[in-house]
Amino acid sequence: MNIKIDNLKKTFGNKDNIKVAVDIEQYEIHSGEILGLVGNNGAGKSTLFRLILDLIKADTGSVRMSNGCDIDINVAETEEWKDWTGAYVDESFLIDYLTPDEYFHFIARIAGMNDEFLDEEMKKYEHFMAGEVSGQTKLIRNLSAGNKQKVGIVAAMLLRPKVLILDEPFNFLDPSSQHVIKHLLTDYNKETGATILVSSHNLNHTVDICPRIALLENGKIIRDIDNSNGEAEAELESYFDVTE
Amino acid sequence: MNKYQLYHLIERTEELKDKRHPMFERNKFMKFLMWFMVAYYAAIMLFLGVTLGFGLKGDYSAAYHRLDGGFFYLLIIDFWMRFTMQETPAQKAHSYALLPIHRSFLMHGYLIRAMLSWGNLFWGFFLVPFGLMSVVPVAGWLAFVGWLLGYWLLFVANGLAYLYIRALCMKHMLWFLSAAAVHTALVCVCVVPDHNVLRVPFVLFMNAFVQWQPLPYLIVGAIIAFAYWANFRLQMGMVYNEIGKKEEVYLKNVSQFRALNRYGALGEYLKMEIKLRMRNKQPKMQFFIGIGLITFFSLMLYFTDVYDTGFMKSFICLYDYVILGATTLITIMCYEGNYIDGLMSRRDSIFELLRAKYYFNSAMLLIPFILITPLMIIGKISLWMNLGYLFFTVGVLYPCVFQLALYNKNTLPLNVKLTKANSGTMMQSIISIVILFLPIAFEKISVLLLGPVWGYMPLIILGIVGIATHRQWLRNIYRRFMVRRFENMEAFRASRNS
Repeated sequence: MNIKIDNLKKTFGNKDNIKVAVDIEQYEIHSGEILGLVGNNGAGKSTLFRLILDLIKADTGSVRMSNGCDIDINVAETEEWKDWTGAYVDESFLIDYLTPDEYFHFIARIAGMNDEFLDEEMKKYEHFMAGEVSGQTKLIRNLSAGNKQKVGIVAAMLLRPKVLILDEPFNFLDPSSQHVIKHLLTDYNKETGATILVSSHNLNHTVDICPRIALLENGKIIRDIDNSNGEAEAELESYFDVTE
Repeated sequence: MNKYQLYHLIERTEELKDKRHPMFERNKFMKFLMWFMVAYYAAIMLFLGVTLGFGLKGDYSAAYHRLDGGFFYLLIIDFWMRFTMQETPAQKAHSYALLPIHRSFLMHGYLIRAMLSWGNLFWGFFLVPFGLMSVVPVAGWLAFVGWLLGYWLLFVANGLAYLYIRALCMKHMLWFLSAAAVHTALVCVCVVPDHNVLRVPFVLFMNAFVQWQPLPYLIVGAIIAFAYWANFRLQMGMVYNEIGKKEEVYLKNVSQFRALNRYGALGEYLKMEIKLRMRNKQPKMQFFIGIGLITFFSLMLYFTDVYDTGFMKSFICLYDYVILGATTLITIMCYEGNYIDGLMSRRDSIFELLRAKYYFNSAMLLIPFILITPLMIIGKISLWMNLGYLFFTVGVLYPCVFQLALYNKNTLPLNVKLTKANSGTMMQSIISIVILFLPIAFEKISVLLLGPVWGYMPLIILGIVGIATHRQWLRNIYRRFMVRRFENMEAFRASRNS
């Protein structure tokens, strides 16, 4: 699924104190790509994700999803795209008074999936959840931050979406879970050809899994870095001034 | 920074916390309404003070004694009014737990602030005009000052008693029953015997303030000191509990509600609606308060003849059906504000959620129906009134209340035990008044025109039309919600965790 951003602008604040959160003239994320989004705090990564997910109103412009054939839709005009999009941005995506299993069942059943499909899918995430998420009688609100993050990520991937959006998925996760999620994402991309958007402050992980990286600054994409050869790290380290 | 400056800095922070609450900033009208209500109640107090003073004119020798003989009534009213306005120090001190400020200093600061609060002087709007008309002419200005000072000390002590009970309520809600029991017992002691046995001791006690005798000041001073000490100890313990709060982490039973699986997505939203009420303290409390009120009014009507007037029968029948909607649906979508982003990233989720809420709340009306059935059997409520209000509630009043799904956009916390009461919005107030009083007016006119049986037919017919078209009007609300989704979602996010 292609994602096309056209003249997208979002500002916050009043006329005396305007903060440009996103200002992107043209940008296209191609079908099957894993795009990494990096930038300093306040660069506009989460706002861009929320605009793509139609969770905040753009001042101008549009986000369109298309498959190059019969589908070409503006996300603000229809809900159709929600059928093939999975996302986890923050805890406001979680219904925290459900147990993780209840939440996964809820996600699957409202999408019309049966329990067999769910059980089959859940097997793929057993290693990632490390026995601490599924099968628990704990409510989501009583889980650790890392385990909540795992619930959100699994729920986003559960319905095998064609577009997957994850905001800082490595946050709160222990090193082994970070390692596992990297493989889960790349394998998922290879297996399904899904378009994946991942934001992160972890440059190593971003470089490891994203063949293309967009660098955001004050809401603008200032660099569109080809990382197909894994050579973006030096450029990013130089930008973020983290070279030793 | 010395302790005095620190105290004022914390005081200033608390003021800013209220002033800068996102919903407060957004809603200029609410700001005006709040000050208007304060002025309104102050005017009522002034009016009561003046009229009572005039009413007892000519009987000056005993005018203020009459008030003094029942001063605890004022304390009881004052006590219960505080539940809507005052937070406990333990709840407030929680915010500063990780700062390098000694907790005991914070607690002393909050308790002193609570004692010196302007709220303790609010009764002055009533007492000053009354005292000017009744105490001053008889006993002079000095006595008047002593009398007012006595009342102020009593309200301070009352405030500390309230804080103590409120803190206990954070451990378990049923602690409020202890205060209710004491107050009820006090009222019974005065009302049940032929002569109010407490009147004379109370009058003598208050008169000792007027005469500036040291004993009552010492007694109330000792009560305040004891209440201060007890509060300090309890509230300090509560702060530690708040910080190291450990809930029952594992569920004992995870209910599956498998019977609802056959309804697909709708069944899942129905399960969510049930679990919302089972697993979260605020919605659970709202629900049980509603059930408690229904039961109380039904039993009162069944066992007593206090409410045997035509208006009260209609009101209780309507109230039994409407109260669940009025207590739970009035905040429709406010709890969903906690996970609105997740809902909005699923297709048609809001429509299915609204449907589930409608079916769940309609099914809950079985409870009042069962409770009203014995009242039908003994002939206090007619079958037609019962059916009339049942259908009218599901088919007409619920569509009205569901409109709030569009206008409610402040997130309410799900699982806190006791917070500052949700003061509600203008729209919620209007809808509450409409659903509580408009149907009675409609019923009375209809019964007047069509008689005691056919008069309920318009209610039943309108109700059936509303039920038959529920998909259409729910779809309409959903479409309008989607039109204003950005505004609502922004407000939900802003008010979350604030």
